[in-house]
Amino acid sequence: MDTTLQPILEASGLAKSFTLHNIDGRTVSALHDISFAVQPGEHVTLAGSSGAGKSTLLRVLYRTYRVSTGSIKFHLRSGRVVDIAQLTDVEILALRGREIGYVSQFLAAQPRRSVLDLVSRAGVSRGMSRTDAREMAALSLRRLNITEALWDVHTAVLSGGEKQRVNIAAGLISPPRLLLLDEPVSALDPENRARAIDLIADLADAGVAVLAVFHDLDAISRLATRVIRMAHGRIIDDGPAAEVLPFLQPSDVQP
Amino acid sequence: MTTTVRRLADATRDLPFALLDEESKREIRRALLQAVATPGYQVPFGSREMPVARGWGSGGLQISLAIVGRNDVVKVIDQGDDEGVNAVNLRRLITTSTGTEESTEVDESTLIQSRHRIPEDAMGEDHILVLQVPVPEPLRGIERDMKELARMHAEADYSKMWVSLYEDKVRNGVITQTTGYPCLVAGRYVTATTPIPRWDIPRLHHSEFLTLFGAGREKRVYAIPPHTDVEPLTFEDVPFEVESADGARCKLCGSTESFLVETPGETSSWSCSDTAWCRRRRLA
Amino acid sequence: MNHDDLLSVPSPVVSVNGLGKVFGTFDPSMIERTGPTTGTARDAFSGSIVAAWDVNFEVAAGEALGIVGESGSGKSTVLRCIAGDQPATTGDVRFTCHEEGTVNVLRLDPATRRRLRIDKLSVVYQDPAEGLALGVTAGGNIADPLTAAGWRNFGRIRSRAAELLERTEVPLDRMDDIVRNFSGGMRQRVQIARALANNPAIVLLDEPTTGLDASVASGVLDLVRRLLEELDLAVVVVSHDFSVIEMLTQRCIVMQHGRVVEEALTDQLLEDPQHSYSQKLVAAARA
Repeated sequence: MDTTLQPILEASGLAKSFTLHNIDGRTVSALHDISFAVQPGEHVTLAGSSGAGKSTLLRVLYRTYRVSTGSIKFHLRSGRVVDIAQLTDVEILALRGREIGYVSQFLAAQPRRSVLDLVSRAGVSRGMSRTDAREMAALSLRRLNITEALWDVHTAVLSGGEKQRVNIAAGLISPPRLLLLDEPVSALDPENRARAIDLIADLADAGVAVLAVFHDLDAISRLATRVIRMAHGRIIDDGPAAEVLPFLQPSDVQP
Repeated sequence: MTTTVRRLADATRDLPFALLDEESKREIRRALLQAVATPGYQVPFGSREMPVARGWGSGGLQISLAIVGRNDVVKVIDQGDDEGVNAVNLRRLITTSTGTEESTEVDESTLIQSRHRIPEDAMGEDHILVLQVPVPEPLRGIERDMKELARMHAEADYSKMWVSLYEDKVRNGVITQTTGYPCLVAGRYVTATTPIPRWDIPRLHHSEFLTLFGAGREKRVYAIPPHTDVEPLTFEDVPFEVESADGARCKLCGSTESFLVETPGETSSWSCSDTAWCRRRRLA
Repeated sequence: MNHDDLLSVPSPVVSVNGLGKVFGTFDPSMIERTGPTTGTARDAFSGSIVAAWDVNFEVAAGEALGIVGESGSGKSTVLRCIAGDQPATTGDVRFTCHEEGTVNVLRLDPATRRRLRIDKLSVVYQDPAEGLALGVTAGGNIADPLTAAGWRNFGRIRSRAAELLERTEVPLDRMDDIVRNFSGGMRQRVQIARALANNPAIVLLDEPTTGLDASVASGVLDLVRRLLEELDLAVVVVSHDFSVIEMLTQRCIVMQHGRVVEEALTDQLLEDPQHSYSQKLVAAARA
């Protein structure tokens, strides 16, 4: 980790609450006063028990959830800084893909798209040429142990584990500068999980900042350079992996 | 109608020249002037009751009566035949109400009223051809809504006509429309060419003579002035072709260069549709 | 901070500003008597319907915007006003593909608007009978916009129609069948083929899969999505069906009683709807 670099992401005073208009207008608070920064090449794992707010935080950063208060400063490739909390929808769409990526544990339903097409499409959407994208897609599908026989089948017929690997391949092709991972390897058997984790490990070497949720202590110890522990929507611990990991409870890595 | 019949029956009374009163003739001539000024455009006019039933040439007759002058020589044909019953009746009506001369020869005539044919003989700038029109609207089979029809003409939006030609070609391998083939007149209005055969269509293009169309029942007149572009609608790669039959020739005059019709009840027996033209060839 | 300098946001092809449509007599005072706050689009005083009011959005090339809402919310009215099927009461709609976006197309004469429909903007309707002549062959339905755009070569019209039908996965041996004999899904495919005939910049889809069987609908949706990706179209999709919106769009607006109650990224609308009406719609869709 090169601490002399500018952070890529700086969240400060971030809070998120949901107003449920149709359930007596009640408000549910999910995040409180979240402040942290992420450097390029850092791999930050979010830990905490179920309901601590880990996935919520990832979604807020991706703007799938609207920010209630606070700011999310993002340092663009160009060096300029934007506040994700304030960007228009159109600007968020421009930011997504090339600057910020999000890989969830589920592959979005795309019934009739072939595996290779889906993964290379993701590369094209991030500015790769079609030929480059196909090459890169083939490369990462091989690394993720998706045999060529599956490349031209529709994703709908894949198993859960295959879908998840395809999803990772699509998320990691021509990786964006900040990658948000939400339990991306949850459905994988040990061998394929190891392959996927190898691929994710390469990201940090390439200077990609990763903010991830895993419920697998092995993955965390292998990948994390830093761990942020959350509880009840707040950050309760934030430090180098070596310092925080020993204090993690089993419940902190439960889904 | 009854008024007209009474007038006709009463031989002792003077009929107005050309049967119609001057106001009526003027109204029709105004419509005709507009028609000439906007080639191919259907101009509404106040179609009168005539001593022939609507659908029997009342539109053509009104035009002829509105424009006929004392020095005109009138020829009337029905399907190319001067002696058809309707042709004879219409010719008599025009000549008796005006005292003008009649002829079956094109080069002696100045005003030629016709149903469904253009005479084979060349006509010049001294001729006016009046065609009787049953259905003046070329888009009638394609669109029923009058407002929409008016819009289509106004915007020269003829894609539906093209689609119908496309469908015809797809279903039948050729464009089957034979008579009344739709033409684009002066590059602007798609116009119904009455049920004249395809044979006659090229003769409307850049003609020396003025053609006036009258539809009595539909209350419309329109015109193709001399030297006007008349292009039959067809695809670039589907050439417009006129009627032909292998080896057909007129059994009377031997002609192969005129529009021939099959003799009813006989097979492979043809004769000229234009009887005056055929007779002259036989006499020559 | 001017974000436009910082992020390369694609410039809009369609810009809609202050679009409004009132059925019946119009009087400005009826605006505050209608809408989500009063719970109705119908003005009790005059009986007029404020079908859409103060609608604003932009759509760029390669982008699909969704308009979501229940029937009667005004979403189809908005689409029809943009398409020119209905005259708008007020508003400003510009297409950069027409006069560089300097002209409010709502003010154009009907003939010019129809010209726009031939080569710049296409609509795919829920009811194929609205977008197709059912008594005409599939090829003939495509020949219509082509001949309207001046195509006069039979062979070229045939091959263009075949190309489009192939693209929309209509078997070529059905090209010369009349559309009335086609299934619902196949009719929609022909409608889409026809819509693409003159390479429009803008395509408006009005409930394109409503009324189709689920499996047929997903095939049509998939086709539409691939076309969106390949053709760089600016697309507006009207639907009450969130699965359609989710699959096709990145952004959407939610309409209720003729007003826009929420504007959102599609994933945000589905995961974190803000307005009570949006929450109700999403909850119903998820149930």
